[in-house]
Amino acid sequence: MDVDYFHFLRLCYHYHLPPMTNKRTMTLNLSDAEMSALEVLAEKKDLNKTVVIRQALRLYQMVDQRMREGKKLFIEDELTKDKSELMFI
Amino acid sequence: MEKSLVYLQGPDGKAVQAELWDDISAEHVAHWTDSWKPEIERFRQRLEKDGVAREKWPQDLHWDWSEKADATRTVLAYQRFALVCEGRLQGLMLVNLVTSTGRLAAQQGKPLVYIDFVSTAPWNRPDFCDKPRFVGVGSVLIRVAVELSRAEGFRGRIGLHSLSQAEKFYRKTCSMTDLGPDTGYYKLTYFEMTEAQATKFTSEPPKK
Repeated sequence: MDVDYFHFLRLCYHYHLPPMTNKRTMTLNLSDAEMSALEVLAEKKDLNKTVVIRQALRLYQMVDQRMREGKKLFIEDELTKDKSELMFI
Repeated sequence: MEKSLVYLQGPDGKAVQAELWDDISAEHVAHWTDSWKPEIERFRQRLEKDGVAREKWPQDLHWDWSEKADATRTVLAYQRFALVCEGRLQGLMLVNLVTSTGRLAAQQGKPLVYIDFVSTAPWNRPDFCDKPRFVGVGSVLIRVAVELSRAEGFRGRIGLHSLSQAEKFYRKTCSMTDLGPDTGYYKLTYFEMTEAQATKFTSEPPKK
């Protein structure tokens, strides 16, 4: 009997991946300048505004955690290799 | 934690149902410690006893999933996945959603899902045993990364640095673009998948 090697792969295409944890909804009030900045970022990054906000939260939390561990955040100029420390409050 | 159903290929070629979990739980870590780790250790001892040159050892023998899970548990930037089949842990994956952006000209600077680590259980690996138990763990996990990328609005874009022993899998099976060795990251070869490649990868069976 012939074995269909890719049978399992075709089957798995019918399922929703990845599993998604339920999301909660909130209303966000932004000033014109903030909304404009959000729209520019969304356009530049090819993302919708919700995803930009979620990305910002993920990044902020990660940076905050690293800094609480005593690490520093630097911005390096690719050309001159000059580094400047980014100060977080 | 939530789960989806996926399929792996069993030893007789038949599809076997598996559970994909959207996090690595303490139970998954315990499975890794109790089942993967001792098998990896026995394999390492056999390599040493047989005098196999270090450069020929699997390059991921030292990966400690217990440490990786601990370090990323509360960090939103990371997403972790565990694949379970027949009650045993078959695969693990850790991805990052914020630290990397596209390098290919067509997607330069655009966010992607960066695969930090992906592993399959020792008994599924042809470099560990003669008859792997399940086939397809790696492909399913890469597909999960692609689907996560889509769900996040990244259009299926993914990226990763590959150990040299795994390059063929990403180049041939996943048809990712090889951007060559990255001197900024241990000279590991960097691979990227575009939206078009992701569409192809998830709509066609992968190449062997």
